[in-house]
Amino acid sequence: MEDQEILSQLNTIIGGVLRKKDLVLTPETTAKDVPGWDSLTHMIIIDSIEKHFKVRFKLNEIMNFKNVGDTVTCIKGKEVK
Amino acid sequence: MNFLNKITSVFNTYAERNAFCIQNKFYSYTDLLALTASIQTTINSRCPGEQNIGIVIKDDIETYASILAIFFSGKTYIPIHPTYPPERTDQIIEQAGIKFLLSKTDDTSYLGATLIATGYSSDQKNSDIALASFPFEKTNAYILFTSGSTGVPKGVPITYHNLDSFVTAFSALAYEIDCNDRFLQMFELTFDLSVMSYLIPLCHGACVYTIPDSGMKFTNIYNVLSTHKITFALMVPSVLANLRPYFEEIDLPDMRYSLFCGEALYKDVVVEWLRCVPNAVVENVYGPTEATIFCLTYKIEDAATIIEYNGIVTIGTPMQGMEAIVVDDAHQELPDGEKGELCLYGNQLTPGYLNAEKTKDAFFELNGKRYYRTGDITFRNEDGNFIYCGRVDHQVKIQGFRIELSEIEFHLRAITGSSNVVALAVNAPNGMMQITAVFEGEESDTEPTLEALKTKVPPYMIPAAVHFVATFPLNTSGKTDRKALQKMIA
Repeated sequence: MEDQEILSQLNTIIGGVLRKKDLVLTPETTAKDVPGWDSLTHMIIIDSIEKHFKVRFKLNEIMNFKNVGDTVTCIKGKEVK
Repeated sequence: MNFLNKITSVFNTYAERNAFCIQNKFYSYTDLLALTASIQTTINSRCPGEQNIGIVIKDDIETYASILAIFFSGKTYIPIHPTYPPERTDQIIEQAGIKFLLSKTDDTSYLGATLIATGYSSDQKNSDIALASFPFEKTNAYILFTSGSTGVPKGVPITYHNLDSFVTAFSALAYEIDCNDRFLQMFELTFDLSVMSYLIPLCHGACVYTIPDSGMKFTNIYNVLSTHKITFALMVPSVLANLRPYFEEIDLPDMRYSLFCGEALYKDVVVEWLRCVPNAVVENVYGPTEATIFCLTYKIEDAATIIEYNGIVTIGTPMQGMEAIVVDDAHQELPDGEKGELCLYGNQLTPGYLNAEKTKDAFFELNGKRYYRTGDITFRNEDGNFIYCGRVDHQVKIQGFRIELSEIEFHLRAITGSSNVVALAVNAPNGMMQITAVFEGEESDTEPTLEALKTKVPPYMIPAAVHFVATFPLNTSGKTDRKALQKMIA
């Protein structure tokens, strides 16, 4: 899957969890940039992403997600080749 | 020796050891003493006659030194959260009669209160700290504000006697703590579990490791636990719920004491956690803010012997100086095995709320003893352990935060002008509890309503989900049937 396609799907998932239909994510977007994306909703978002992409993140990977682009790269790295 | 004498002794004995690690920067007891003395001097010159002093809480050494400076001066601190809605902060300032606020930076304005800057300088050499003489019984050490069902936060004063009784009762638990211990401090200072997390280590010359304000709390907590090889951690069970999918990756052999408080602790999760902390004593502790931090404890030995009810681990037995009973609606004590309201009596009990009316509702006398009604439904088993069964009201705990659902409903009704709205605590897809607002009627845009709510209540009280139901189900009394509603949105 291309980065842009993963980003688009993340947009839908995260927008759904945060109830923000007009959310526009870029690779540089951080949680701090999005109102409502806080500690309380973060783990729900991670859980939703894992279920959608059928992937499993390691705790160390989640700790290193600095922005949406990091998440895209991590998901891509887990794709079945 | 009271807790302030203990800290004085620690300042002398462990001067060069680390007292705090904040955002990866270490501060020795000498640093802490110098800053505390400096702030105490400032307090004495700027507001010598003031009893209640606010602190704009941040994750910095100045905040903790301000608390100590207030303690050593025999005054009372009230934590003010800089990101909570100004309206709520103003209510707290007004209720507590705060005229002065300590803050590292004076970049915020608060209702009628004067900000006093508390800068830190590594050149600070003034260490003439003075322990004031004042009556422990009657003087408040801090006042914390909890969610109030009528839309106004409720002030809970805790005296120096209450706090010292907690420290004494904690010592009686016989945990082997010394200056080599590393304590986790994961709580906002508006939450009284923070008090144990900084005060107990400071009484032993140990080091306090705080969690950064920024970033994601649960990953930050794990980062501090693993990086700094934390030996003592008091956490809310939500931390476990969030870390549970990753337990296989977690190994914390340095952890010696792992305590949980603030929410129901589930047996299945904590049993798995035991494998992550193979060398730790694991305990479930319990207590409302009104009874100073916690006052019942239960040691978890292994999966086979855990006492539980509906999957929830028992809250155990009272600590030294505290008593617990279960009463019926007429405030009469019930025999073992019968469910009723858990009531507490003893040295850790607050003298009463700032609002006298609230005090009248929550306290009663029985056999010459003054009891606090916790609102928790429990029964005592044959071993003397208290078993938690639920609440008598609509108070819930989300991530350890105490929330009156009726307070959220109060504000939502005021904002929308409609009475047809209910706040519920429901399970999120990942098993965590979250607040859900349910509106009666056709679906509409609730964003403006939730935005308005953010100006009234702290972030943790904002509903994470919204549902619409055409007509609310009613119970036989004609009231909204909350249980039926919960099923409808499941």
